[in-house]
Amino acid sequence: MSKILRVNMTDLTTKFESVPEKYRLTAGRGLTSAITCDEVPPTCHPLGPNNKIVYASGITTGTAAPTSGRISIGGKSPLTGTIKETNSGGMAGQKLARLGIKAIILEGQPKGNGQQWVLKVDKDGAELLPTADEWLGKGLYETYPLLFDRFGERVAIIGIGVAGERLMRNAGICVNDPENRPARYAGRGGMGAVMGSKGLKAIILDDKDGPGVPIANKKVFDTGRKKLLEALRTHAVTKPGGGLNTYGTAVLVNIINEAGGFPTRNFREGRFEGAARISGETIHETCENRGGVGMTGHGCSPGCVIKCSNVYPKPDGSELVSVQEYESVWAFGAHCGIDDLDITGECIRLCNDYGLDTIEAGVTIGVAMEAGLANFGDGKKAIELMQEIGKGTPLGHVLGNGAAVTARVFGVVRCPTVKGQAIPAYDPRAIKGIGITYAISTMGADHTSGYTIAPEMLGVSGKVDQFIVEKADMARNFQYATAFIDISGHCLFIAFAILDIPSGLEGMVEECNGVLGTNWTLDDIGRIGGEIIRMERLFNEAAGFTTAHDRLPEFMKYEKLPPHNVVFDVPDETLDKVHAT
Amino acid sequence: MIEVHLYGKLRRFTENQRPSRDSVICVPVGEEDTIGDIVERIGIPHEELGSNIFLNGEYSAKTRRVRAGDRLGIFPDDMQVLYKWYFRKAGGEDHDRDQALRHVRKVSP
Repeated sequence: MSKILRVNMTDLTTKFESVPEKYRLTAGRGLTSAITCDEVPPTCHPLGPNNKIVYASGITTGTAAPTSGRISIGGKSPLTGTIKETNSGGMAGQKLARLGIKAIILEGQPKGNGQQWVLKVDKDGAELLPTADEWLGKGLYETYPLLFDRFGERVAIIGIGVAGERLMRNAGICVNDPENRPARYAGRGGMGAVMGSKGLKAIILDDKDGPGVPIANKKVFDTGRKKLLEALRTHAVTKPGGGLNTYGTAVLVNIINEAGGFPTRNFREGRFEGAARISGETIHETCENRGGVGMTGHGCSPGCVIKCSNVYPKPDGSELVSVQEYESVWAFGAHCGIDDLDITGECIRLCNDYGLDTIEAGVTIGVAMEAGLANFGDGKKAIELMQEIGKGTPLGHVLGNGAAVTARVFGVVRCPTVKGQAIPAYDPRAIKGIGITYAISTMGADHTSGYTIAPEMLGVSGKVDQFIVEKADMARNFQYATAFIDISGHCLFIAFAILDIPSGLEGMVEECNGVLGTNWTLDDIGRIGGEIIRMERLFNEAAGFTTAHDRLPEFMKYEKLPPHNVVFDVPDETLDKVHAT
Repeated sequence: MIEVHLYGKLRRFTENQRPSRDSVICVPVGEEDTIGDIVERIGIPHEELGSNIFLNGEYSAKTRRVRAGDRLGIFPDDMQVLYKWYFRKAGGEDHDRDQALRHVRKVSP
């Protein structure tokens, strides 16, 4: 039977609890959000003793389901003040699931002395161990190998870097990749600072001889698995040798740039003259030309069919960083006016080392450039600003608290954030559907929190559309479907295949039925995803959020974005209709 | 003339195949020409053409008319990763989105 592990940092105890009936059929984001709603006071200080962090694998994580290695981490976000779920690939999700642990709940706060801890979990139980001095205050490229030396190469590590230790609001939570790099992140929302506030440096998961994930109906599971596998293997975007596998997620650089929605120099323009130089195609070519360890088609967790990660080499073929991801390359690239993959790679490496979210960090550097701390395009200075965060200087603390704090400190009006979280690599003025997602998401500006639909479907022009309610339904349903993918434990990128290939969507649901013994149909996707989003919105309401917060930054309403020269003109009433009941 | 930007394996139809620079080809354009006609004139095989086609930055159908001075961007089938649900396709039928819409109706609660 799977269990919940509760870790109390006030009295430094750990205990295993049985899973309450109401949580039995949920997992991943569904479980992190449910426990947060049930146990965290919405008005609590995110870094105080009453906030909690919940770690939960998805329903199919740890099984043979393809591309299903995700772990969700949730609680109240210090960056946004909203509920937060941030998920990651890497090695931790599968090991947590195979240990028979449905969720780890981290609560309380140690009193005073600054002592930090490591939580070790294996088949025999869980214990809190004091950290060694040499594990603290250093980059994760130094700390992770020390932890693997101590606990063995086959464990998974969920850890924080110096940003988390210093309670910076842009601190992410790191998960090792299959080669044990500190390279995968549940990055968004500053959850690394929450972990730091509880004095927990790392969780070590050793699944050796663990019970594994029980499957209630193997036949149903296998049928579903085959359908999903087939969809992923045949869709042009997700198949081996397809777009994501060959070029990585940065394949989007040229596409979004061609569409005129590639935010450039802090959202002043929608097309970047240096886009080609930081594109997925150029990443692919550089990996081939430089050789050495460089590769595309790298998998971030075992059992992934898509394999969209990469290892980017230095000119001599040695490793610079894994991974040059679309949003990361954009944030340190076009957003900062930088057209050099060696610079973006170094900035991403520093994020991995310090324990920062790359999107928030890159957007922050662009805002700092807007403030005059560096010129747009100055890669050397961008790296120096990043190093301030690593050193923990007062300027570093400002930058390490994200784009909104930096804009406020330096009086920058063009601040691209929603609910305090940086807007990722798609300009809402040119791509209005994603603007709706950014505005109404329960998580702040988040490109993964729900695909909404092209805005003209919602009657953007202000024209009264008799079908507007029905169309708002559709937009909402896209969010619900996305939330369901998050609880299933699959990577969101299966969406390309399952939204185009109906049998793939069925396969995902059947896999879940196989694991849980349920009889869900496609109709249940909307119901289950909808319950999660409604629950998250209730938490946010109780935390003080209203529809006035479901808005994009004001400058997007009056500053036209070239080359289309458009503003964000989706009426507020339309935004409010999406979740109106 | 119309300026066509080609990506991925379609760069072979231009003089530049290095992805770190734009691969551009100028194609003569007639009064009634559509995007499909331009694609044919360049010689792009049907099976290599994806849905990600942009006329002056607008996600467009192949049946859309082009004019001298336009900028056309074409991505091959293996690069069609646009989150197409976000876009209305200009100037023609929109089968992709219609399919996605029908699909999402199935998941309505």
